[in-house]
Amino acid sequence: MTDWNAMSDAEFRKEVRGFFEAEYPEELRHLPHRPKFCEIEPWHRKLHARGWVAPAWPAEYGGMGLNAAKLLIFYEEQQRWGVNRGRDMGVQMVGPLIIKFGTQEQKDYWLPRILSCEDIWCQGYSEPGAGSDLANLRTRAEIDGDEFVINGQKIWTTMAHDATHIFMLVRTEPDTPRKQQGISFVLAPMDQPGVEVRTITTLSGETEFCEVFFDNARTPRENLVGELNKGWSMAKALLSFERIFIGAPSLAQNALGQLESFARGRGAFDDPVFRDRFAQAALDVEDHAALYARFADQLKRGETLGADVSMLKIWVTECFQRITELMIEAAGPDGGTVGPLQVGNVSVDVLASFYKARPTTIYGGSNEIQRNILSKAVLGLPG
Amino acid sequence: MQSSEQEEDLRLLRESARTLFDRAGGSGRARKLRDAGGEFDPDMIRELAEAGVFGVAVPEDQGGLGMGLAAGGVIAEEAGRVIAPEPVVATIGLGLGLLHRLCPDHPKLAQLIGGEASLAVAWQERGPGGAPAQATCRYAEGKLTGGKAWVVGAAGSQGFLVVAEGDDGPVLVLAEVGAAGLVTNTRAQADGSSLGELSFSATPAEELASGAEVRNALAEAVADATALAAAELVGLCQRAFEITLDYIKTREQFDKPIGSFQVIQHRAVDLNVMCEVAQAGVREVLARMDGETDANTRSRLASRAKARAVTAAKKVTRDAIQLHGAVGYSDEFDIGLYMNRALVLSAWLGDDAYHRRAWFDAREEEGAAQ
Repeated sequence: MTDWNAMSDAEFRKEVRGFFEAEYPEELRHLPHRPKFCEIEPWHRKLHARGWVAPAWPAEYGGMGLNAAKLLIFYEEQQRWGVNRGRDMGVQMVGPLIIKFGTQEQKDYWLPRILSCEDIWCQGYSEPGAGSDLANLRTRAEIDGDEFVINGQKIWTTMAHDATHIFMLVRTEPDTPRKQQGISFVLAPMDQPGVEVRTITTLSGETEFCEVFFDNARTPRENLVGELNKGWSMAKALLSFERIFIGAPSLAQNALGQLESFARGRGAFDDPVFRDRFAQAALDVEDHAALYARFADQLKRGETLGADVSMLKIWVTECFQRITELMIEAAGPDGGTVGPLQVGNVSVDVLASFYKARPTTIYGGSNEIQRNILSKAVLGLPG
Repeated sequence: MQSSEQEEDLRLLRESARTLFDRAGGSGRARKLRDAGGEFDPDMIRELAEAGVFGVAVPEDQGGLGMGLAAGGVIAEEAGRVIAPEPVVATIGLGLGLLHRLCPDHPKLAQLIGGEASLAVAWQERGPGGAPAQATCRYAEGKLTGGKAWVVGAAGSQGFLVVAEGDDGPVLVLAEVGAAGLVTNTRAQADGSSLGELSFSATPAEELASGAEVRNALAEAVADATALAAAELVGLCQRAFEITLDYIKTREQFDKPIGSFQVIQHRAVDLNVMCEVAQAGVREVLARMDGETDANTRSRLASRAKARAVTAAKKVTRDAIQLHGAVGYSDEFDIGLYMNRALVLSAWLGDDAYHRRAWFDAREEEGAAQ
């Protein structure tokens, strides 16, 4: 087995880049939507054969065992080449959860199935009354013999209509002093009579989000991960690495590249006002990258990131939105038209980019929630 | 990424500069000097010189510390934190930047590093749109004629390094204060400092260098000073934010600290993010300029730094006044001094709009060259 961490950063980057550039299907680069598994399956098979499905998992569980520095490089290269993350909820969320808190039986059973995508996972966290205030969730799971019986509703469940399993936060103890208590982590199969999935059409016309209804749905008791009623702290423990990943510069950098070719083709740079706004956006991206590098260096030195890493997400998502708004401006009278606009040899779908940027300030902890976190945990403000 | 050894050197330099400025009275010193009508403190210049502050970016074989622009940035940030009125950046970036590039053997170089001489650099001229296309201040047969504008540190200096047009292109000359035909007018600035306006009529001056190398050295020195001024603004921003954060934690209204209100908290977070982005961006620029030899790229980097720092400083210092409420508008509170200093440093060497334009143009030029 290759010890990737023993390689120099440059060597490793070359290796990853080489593989992506040689093997990733051209037509799947920079996909504007989230693919169904069947769409991305040939690529998943290549990754699986290479043993690269789970870069962050320890090698003993079939992962690449990358340390933080190498992992960052892997993701940077993935985003640079526009490699789709595939259906990675299992790899990103369920796997780490089971590795950290699961029993040996759970590891032996679930982990290989995640890697092979025999099971495809979706994440059941948000509910109609539990968005930013996630701990307010009400979906109940009651013990009935060897099973949990689940009743309630999840929403904004990404790609639930293309998933075989759901990992969810459920309330297993209704009367607790604090609502963060009494929450558990359970795994459940989607293919059963008590589970109903309805897709939600978004502003972009996509149907990647779903509502999932549970009406006496059942899952075996052994599908509880970790201790009963201790799900909340486990869910929080999973978020640490995601916090820098979600603030990575690539989304904004790619959009800026698109904006530049598009604006050049449309002659938008003849306008000094546009030039200034472009410069502003471009400098926002460059200076964000400098801040990102500071946090990445911290990880590379083996330090744990503090709550201040949230500032990356705030800055880059808002910047990403401004860039897509500039694309619409550069499109002029075409700014409200649907579909790709051809300029020279570039084709840019300005509305698709615009829509893609909207939810980034809402998901992963809305930017307002991030500001709450920063104000309390970093600035030490009261209340 | 800088090596850990470099990082450690910079950390130590930062510590000693901070101690030096704090011991001298911190931001209180800026207020005292302003109230006394003095521009800056000659004793402070000597102390800074003894600590090696001015020579940080001058190569070692020319009597400096050879620590590069990144180290200059550390000094500039620390000067910014206490809104030190001394022309530290002008001296490191412009004065020494010109002398060490053009005449490393001239005794003024060592004197300037050692704090025994104070020299202001006169290189700009008034004209339509901020500057004339062609400099009109002339140097011929040992005499200067014409005028120069926006000279930082003019009031306290013993002489001027003047960039003028000679018979064979640009020249760098040294004119002493008190020389015949030299008239200095000053214009007060928001922070109590002043800008000099010089006029020469047949003023005797010593030629230090001439030709294209003067033009190149000037461009390099201006880029250095621009990036260092950005660093000074970064330090200023950070401190202005800290002062404001302390204030909103202690000031109570409606029986609570105002920092417990979400609208105040979110504004404070935005300022904090602004400060951190500016610090990361400007420090990265300084480190990259140290390893960059292409003049156009260096000036593009400097523009990036100044554009960012000015944007941040404007936002942070003005919002800081708002978050202080009425007392922020009183002269008694230090936060106003930070805003005033930010106004001055922002206008000097080009503001954010100017530098976004310069950055864009430099980038286009690089793109066209490739």
